[in-house]
Amino acid sequence: MKKTLTDYEKIIGPVAISKLRQVARDLKGASVVHVNSTREGGGVAEILFWMIPLMRELGLDALWEVIEGNAEYFNTTKTFHNGLQGNDVILTDRMIRAYEDTVAGNADRLRPVLQDADFVVIHDPQPAFLHELCPDKSGRWIWRCHIDASHPNRAVWNYLRSKVNNFDASIFSMPDFAHKLDHPQFIIAPSIDPLSDKNIELSDKEIKDTLQNFNIDPNRPILCQISRFDRFKDPIGVIKAFNLLNGSFNAQLVLAGGGATDDPEGAAVLEEVHRAANGNKNIHILMLPPDAHRIINALQRASTIVIQKSLQEGFGLTVTEAMWKCKPVIGGNTGGIRLQVHNHHTGFLVDTPEGAALRIRKLLYQPDVISKIGQTAKEFVKENYLCNRHLREYLTLMLGLRKGLANHLIAG
Amino acid sequence: MSEYNDMGFKVKDCTLITRMAGVKEAMNLRELEERLRVCPDECLFHHFCETVIRPTFDYPDYTNDFALWAGSQLRDKILAERLSVLNPYKCKSVDELRQQILDIFEERLSETDHILWAPKNRAFQFLQAVTVVFETDIRLNRPYDFYEQLPNMSHGSIYYHFIEARRRTKWMVDDFTAWLSEFEIEVKPLIKTLSEIDFYFLTLAELKNTLVTVTTEFFKEAKHEKNIN
Repeated sequence: MKKTLTDYEKIIGPVAISKLRQVARDLKGASVVHVNSTREGGGVAEILFWMIPLMRELGLDALWEVIEGNAEYFNTTKTFHNGLQGNDVILTDRMIRAYEDTVAGNADRLRPVLQDADFVVIHDPQPAFLHELCPDKSGRWIWRCHIDASHPNRAVWNYLRSKVNNFDASIFSMPDFAHKLDHPQFIIAPSIDPLSDKNIELSDKEIKDTLQNFNIDPNRPILCQISRFDRFKDPIGVIKAFNLLNGSFNAQLVLAGGGATDDPEGAAVLEEVHRAANGNKNIHILMLPPDAHRIINALQRASTIVIQKSLQEGFGLTVTEAMWKCKPVIGGNTGGIRLQVHNHHTGFLVDTPEGAALRIRKLLYQPDVISKIGQTAKEFVKENYLCNRHLREYLTLMLGLRKGLANHLIAG
Repeated sequence: MSEYNDMGFKVKDCTLITRMAGVKEAMNLRELEERLRVCPDECLFHHFCETVIRPTFDYPDYTNDFALWAGSQLRDKILAERLSVLNPYKCKSVDELRQQILDIFEERLSETDHILWAPKNRAFQFLQAVTVVFETDIRLNRPYDFYEQLPNMSHGSIYYHFIEARRRTKWMVDDFTAWLSEFEIEVKPLIKTLSEIDFYFLTLAELKNTLVTVTTEFFKEAKHEKNIN
């Protein structure tokens, strides 16, 4: 379903919409081409799914192009991805050839539209080589790195750096993720779309039915962590924290995630999680398909407290999603969780399972605090982490590149 | 960049968009000192003056990013306190501010026999920001409008007109004062009260409350005495 600014205005208010219109005024008619590597699945596609129509409604001529490639290309770009995240990977000449040949093939198809565009936004490393392959470009090229590249594999970064260094600007989600490049690097935090399946309001019936499907009792406190089964998300630590409650408050724990079946390490972690749960009927371990957005939405909405006890985290959009649903979050003291979770205001930052158990007990003992923190958390997300702020900053950056990056930028 | 003309005072709103300042991160005080010597003026302004407009809940322990980092990551309370009491708006130039900070760093380095390090992944990142200015529907035509409309102004508007204006305007005064000065003598006491607000140590919510309070008091009294509007 196409969502319009009017739909968003009901949630974010007319002032926020006015700011979008003001920034967009000077960009009216500008052609913007976003390029990524998939039209479905993954965070980037989710962003473009709402961003493209809103840019168009604001008067920009926005297009979304997708790189097409074979398995060898995607294996290579997966290596780039893992390498940027700091994993120990091997990048071979053959992989680089496969990558460059594939992008070159796509460039033949995309060159006319890219070279004519006023702005080209390249998402992540997959299409980055296009820049070099469009020598007669007339617009500004922006590299948007969605990945936590704070400690990249050197071989991967050195190669990618040579591909992105000549862009006009780049965008990173947090200062810690940025790298020195020969152009301005902007910091734009990610956001959630309040009208997406993952975040839209649900009926009580849908929430209740979801709980029923998984045998979760709606009348007892629900603690929930939504995450891949990954050691960095510390699901074992969450179970340890839950066990430290010693059955008090008659609470239930839901650990819900997906994507483990084709990932050997994920399968191993899932096995460890089952072992740690030790058959406890109050611990629900749910393997969800990648498109289970409404189920995740329902689980978050049904939760009393949401946990995201990561040991290492990028931005942590599951935290944002939970806060948007008025849930206090007990989050690991790391990465972007630290920007979102503020002790006693939107939840609690913890470093250990013991710390998590302590905060869970405190909150379950004080239901009025749960609702107060939940309301504050929602307001905080509304002000800072919804898609209107994200879009406004993209437009501001484009306007800045067009007008020149002075100390002040007058919108409209 | 005048905010008022025959059409009255047009109240603006603002947000920031941040970017890396092109200076390598710092992990300890020695590195912070080295980087501070070369970082752009805009970077210094951002970390000293724009801290207040960033989203936060807590009454921050310290008033600027250097002090916050020294306190929370280097765990050097002495350094944090010394940095925090610096008021950038009392400095005549960014160079003067930079020199005052460097003096504090050097003093602290000479006092300590070992360099304190920040934990891994808690480096100080040097940033700078572009202020993005927006129109609002609020117009002020007479001093009484200021009293009436203050509660409707966003924190962005308060920051832009009362704090950021001092960087932007020739006389380093806030926009409200500059505008009120165009009116008759009776608003002079209000201008004086505005000038006495020690805004640097207030959050934007506190600053807005203070402005509302002093303006309300002034107009209550003025109305009582001379019926100013």
